[in-house]
Amino acid sequence: MRRIRSTGSAHAGLMEWLLQRTSSLYMGGFVIFTVFHFLVSPKPDYAAWSGWFTDGVVRLAWALFILSVLVHAWIGLRSIYMDYLHPLWLRFSVSLLTAFGLLALGLWSAEILLMIKP
Amino acid sequence: MEMDKNKNRPVYLNLFQIRLPVGGVMSILHRITGAVLVLLLPFAIYMLQRSLQDPERFADIVVQLGTPIGRSILLAVVWVFAQHFFSGVRHLLQDVGIGLEITAARRGAWLTFIGSGLVVVVAGACL
Repeated sequence: MRRIRSTGSAHAGLMEWLLQRTSSLYMGGFVIFTVFHFLVSPKPDYAAWSGWFTDGVVRLAWALFILSVLVHAWIGLRSIYMDYLHPLWLRFSVSLLTAFGLLALGLWSAEILLMIKP
Repeated sequence: MEMDKNKNRPVYLNLFQIRLPVGGVMSILHRITGAVLVLLLPFAIYMLQRSLQDPERFADIVVQLGTPIGRSILLAVVWVFAQHFFSGVRHLLQDVGIGLEITAARRGAWLTFIGSGLVVVVAGACL
């Protein structure tokens, strides 16, 4: 080897790995619960849908779900970018756009959840 | 030094001629479906917002999803989600050491396709 390059810390990336798994467990549970909730509910109309969101626990569960989606999406896209976007400037710009985009989606979702009158 | 000698080694990367094993097909599908789901996020949040605004907008979404085009898009999204869901479950199972052996891994990959296909059929029948 002509140049010795640092391979980084042995546990670098472990946090991302763990977040990807924990967020997937929460999302999976949430989606299964939500599907079953509306399968057993007698009439999935507007009243049932919007009424469900007046429950604070449901709004909190949705907030956690959207947060999980955004974290999961960030780590997933990051892996894709690291594999396919090789020029540093390109990977940096696309990552920056992605970060702002996901942040905007999160704030938008927060607005939707906070606008609901209990 | 060893690497410099092989600079002229042949590179064969014709993506249309490489036959991936079933696990490889599932793996690349996991990435593609994941990326598609991220691209769908703004539309999903927009629909969530509209659906909660008032009964008219809610009814409008129901009507839109009932048209042939709306139904096709809905079922396509259901497939994309289900495929990512099942290949994700396979990932999680492999993390805890289940289905790592080659035949089990291949069977698992096939099962994700069968699972997502079944979800689309059931969703098509129910919706």
